[in-house]
Amino acid sequence: MTVKYFATIRTYTGETERRLDDAPADLRELLTALAARYGTSFRRAVFAGAELGSAIIILVNGRNVLYLRGLDTPLEADDEVSIFPMVAGG
Amino acid sequence: MAKVLMIHPDKCTGCRNCELACSFEHEAQFRPGASRVQAYTWEREGMSVPMMCQQCDDAACVNVCPTGAMHRSTTMANLVDWDESTCIRCKMCTIACPFGNARYDAASSSIFKCDNCQGAPECVAFCPNGALEFVDDGQHVRSRKKAYAAKFKEAFQEVS
Amino acid sequence: MYGWTGTILRVDLTKKKVTREATDPKLARDYLGARGLGGHIIRSEVDPKTDALSPDNKLVFAPGPLTGTFAPSAGRFDVVTKGPLNGVLAASNSGGTFGPEVKYAGYDAVVIEGKAAKPVYLWIRDDEVEIRDAAAIWGHNTLDTTDLVRAETDEDAKVSCIGPAGEHRSLIANIMNEMHRAAGRTGVGAVMGSKNLKAVAVFGSGAVTVADPEGFKAVVMKARQMILAHPVGGAGLKAYGTDVLVNILNQTGALPTRNYQDGYFPTADKTGGESLAAKQLIRPKGCFSCIISCGRVTRVDSPGYEGNGEGPEYETAWAFGADCGVDDLDAITKANYLCNEYGLDTISMGSTIACAMELFERGIITTKDTDGVDLHFGNTPAVVEMVRKAGEGEGFGAKLAQGSYRLAESYGHPEYSMTCKKQEMPAYDPRAVQGIGLNYATGNRGGCHVRGYTIAIEVLQNGAVMDPHVTEGKAGLDITFQNLTAALDSSGACLFATFGIGGAELVEMLAALTGVDYTLDEFMLIGERIWNQEKLWNLKAGFTKADDTLPVRLLTEPIKTGPSKGDLSHLDEMLPEYYGLRGWDENGVPTKAKLKQLAL
Repeated sequence: MTVKYFATIRTYTGETERRLDDAPADLRELLTALAARYGTSFRRAVFAGAELGSAIIILVNGRNVLYLRGLDTPLEADDEVSIFPMVAGG
Repeated sequence: MAKVLMIHPDKCTGCRNCELACSFEHEAQFRPGASRVQAYTWEREGMSVPMMCQQCDDAACVNVCPTGAMHRSTTMANLVDWDESTCIRCKMCTIACPFGNARYDAASSSIFKCDNCQGAPECVAFCPNGALEFVDDGQHVRSRKKAYAAKFKEAFQEVS
Repeated sequence: MYGWTGTILRVDLTKKKVTREATDPKLARDYLGARGLGGHIIRSEVDPKTDALSPDNKLVFAPGPLTGTFAPSAGRFDVVTKGPLNGVLAASNSGGTFGPEVKYAGYDAVVIEGKAAKPVYLWIRDDEVEIRDAAAIWGHNTLDTTDLVRAETDEDAKVSCIGPAGEHRSLIANIMNEMHRAAGRTGVGAVMGSKNLKAVAVFGSGAVTVADPEGFKAVVMKARQMILAHPVGGAGLKAYGTDVLVNILNQTGALPTRNYQDGYFPTADKTGGESLAAKQLIRPKGCFSCIISCGRVTRVDSPGYEGNGEGPEYETAWAFGADCGVDDLDAITKANYLCNEYGLDTISMGSTIACAMELFERGIITTKDTDGVDLHFGNTPAVVEMVRKAGEGEGFGAKLAQGSYRLAESYGHPEYSMTCKKQEMPAYDPRAVQGIGLNYATGNRGGCHVRGYTIAIEVLQNGAVMDPHVTEGKAGLDITFQNLTAALDSSGACLFATFGIGGAELVEMLAALTGVDYTLDEFMLIGERIWNQEKLWNLKAGFTKADDTLPVRLLTEPIKTGPSKGDLSHLDEMLPEYYGLRGWDENGVPTKAKLKQLAL
């Protein structure tokens, strides 16, 4: 699967995307693994305690996870996950 | 320690919030003509610079004032103060200041020059970009000096 | 009066007469200013059937009550007129510092009537108003025009002007102020050109007064904190500009690509705000009283595209980018600079070039029509060249300068013009985002996003969330946004203040400023009134329910690739409910009961 990063998230990860051979079972597992890799700034952006961060937008194959199953959204090997901080308008 | 109203033109976006805050503080209305600070913008270059009285130690306006209306404050450090009651509006101070930071306003019959809002400058509070800072004199250029020093740190870390 | 100045200035260019009248306090209360008050003037004084480019049209420059105060990010004004592109009651909004200067000069609105016999500019210094000869300035681009006018008036005068495009009466010509800010859409620049009016220069030494200074300052401080604490208003826009939207729209599969033939552009990242920040950004820029600073001071050094100025913002980066199949940000930014200099609306210009590219690839036009230029999608130098030609009114450029609807129609294929009511749609694909499609279709001035920016909820999670792919609830969402925005525009505030504050804070500021006991209910009613005012005008101008629609492509051709592959717009599921909730009949005509409720 592919995970893509945008705007300030790129400054936390140091890269624009990462490919994984296997998909974690769900979004929570994915973000936990990525937070372990990228550190505190990334973790604070994507998590608010054990919940999804309040200023983060995550799409799985273009669909906002808030309309899927949030952190419990299951993931497949050919999924594309996009992680955005809340961004602009106009 | 005395405080300095420091200007960082590189951070100015030309929003003129400083002018509005100053005019509102002194006159309870929005009249940039009444502001003691002016933020000038050069559109082609996309550059803006705020300017106000620099509270000179050896101030031309103080030296030239015939009544002592312009005087170094005895109550606040680093401030050239204006006494409205002894000012005769001769405007010599406006002629003397080489920076154009003292101005005569006919509408209010006053000399406009920055008074640091008696220690809590409103322009600093309103600037959204950190282009104006009211900071201890020991630290007012620290961020700039350090930013350049950091470039050496990075360069040396690469090779050592 | 507090907040308002109490005076409206009228300039008759035919008779060379200048008059003043008192601002009617009841009208000011009920229409606020800017879009609302300006709209009332046009509605009352211009016949909807008038030729927009005739001397009988009027041109109003109107700031709002908040304009000129330190209400955060609230220094805007509207240019209001009958729009030549499509005949609507057009209000084109702009930032910069021109609006506040009109207030300091003492005016709630400047109404320009008639037509000058020869090119002129208007010079307003407080209550001294002169109509001056502009022979030496006519023909110059907007940057040089600003300098030339200042040299003859005051070096700190604020100047609103047209470039060569407005002079040529291009239907997509804009009016530029402070060199880089635009009253962009609906061809308002052509109205100014048709009046032989090259520029309006203003210098004001007066004041905007406040009914309750302490109360106003307290609300302003609170509003500032709310905006600065918001991730978008407080930091995101300053760091990346609105161009940061490219990637999120693309990853949603809603980035219109190659004239809306698709909704996903694989190399879009090269044109986004992240790339802009890395490659071109010199520093952020803010309009008058702005605490958000979404403006981009930029420079391009690539050979062939050298230049400097401001921009691009998102819609521009899309119009010359994905919509034309171009991923070279330097070329996009150069096209943006050229549009600013010539005085052309970037959205309509880019979308018109994209339309021409589709006509070319389909063989409907050939190099014989395009002055020998190979106008395939992705031909990057051709995009920049076409902007130049349109600005000059040269060859094929003269056709492009009339917008995509007339271009496509002239070759017998209006269906390839991606417009609503003849105005080009901006950078959000209705097939993937249902609510914005309803907004485009019902928009009073045609294809437009700002009038009802449902993207904030459907894509950006700003305060609330709604799934972009569903139609349920979108009628109500659109109406709320359209009404709130109409009132917000008319107050002088910038739309981006809503990344932080809402109607409640705007009302508090207005009440403390003007002394009028506004409530949120009245504020929303004012917005609804202004929306209906524009609708009534449009009906009299000849618009019908048939015009409240989207291009056939969006209703019948699914998105081809990307995350929203297979999606279509389901406008028909939303429009009847929209009319019903608005209190309009099934033909989209406001009922008598609704008009009575709105005092129209």
